[in-house]
Amino acid sequence: MPAEGSISTLVASLWLLNIVLDTGGQLAFKAAAGDPAAGDGLARWRHMASRPWLWLGIGSYVAEFLVWIAFLSLIPLSEGVLLGSINIVAIMIAGRFLFGEKLTRLRVAGIALVALGVAIVGLGT
Amino acid sequence: MKRFYLLGFLLLMGFDTLAQISFKVAGTQALPVEASLAWLLRVFGQPWVYGAVIGYVGAFFTWMALLKHAPIGPAFAASHLEVVSVMLLSIWLFDEQLTLARGLGALAIIAGIVCLGLAESREHEPAADAEPARG
Repeated sequence: MPAEGSISTLVASLWLLNIVLDTGGQLAFKAAAGDPAAGDGLARWRHMASRPWLWLGIGSYVAEFLVWIAFLSLIPLSEGVLLGSINIVAIMIAGRFLFGEKLTRLRVAGIALVALGVAIVGLGT
Repeated sequence: MKRFYLLGFLLLMGFDTLAQISFKVAGTQALPVEASLAWLLRVFGQPWVYGAVIGYVGAFFTWMALLKHAPIGPAFAASHLEVVSVMLLSIWLFDEQLTLARGLGALAIIAGIVCLGLAESREHEPAADAEPARG
């Protein structure tokens, strides 16, 4: 195990990959569930299963599961969960750009605080 | 009813915490990290990875049940505040240190999560159960 206090390229890459997979997975599920042509009940599930979004979401989550295990095995857990909070920021920003979700002042403050906290933890190592 | 929510939030945090602790132990036992079948076999060859699966599945169903009944803001906050319990447990279980950077960073992140929880509450006040199942 690497000494505490050093973030290697591998750790940084796994962290970035985790953000991409988590955000991508959530957006894929959103696209699958939000399709207005999908209908209701069993027909809705059949519709979702016949299109790529649901499977893209599931695939992303499976990959993220493995990436997260690898990531946490290389750094202290307390640091890992804090650095992982960046996913909250990524998904809100993605929601804003892709689905036009509103960013109220309180939301912007929350996003900025989480990002600041992640930066402090990341730079402090 | 208040007690029901509180219990639900605690259960959600408990499942999330179990998942993170399990991820850490599973990963540590599977070291060194490599993009290979051998690593996958090491990960899935010991029990902790299944603790992570149980934690995830449990958290998912608790979240779905909570969204049906509980206000979205506190539910959002509870689903992310496991950073606190995970940090405290890592200090105790894995002898990790609460460094200044981690302490300050955690405070900012927690404040941010509370802000986001409040923002959700405000937004969903007029129609509390308008679209709870979309998460």
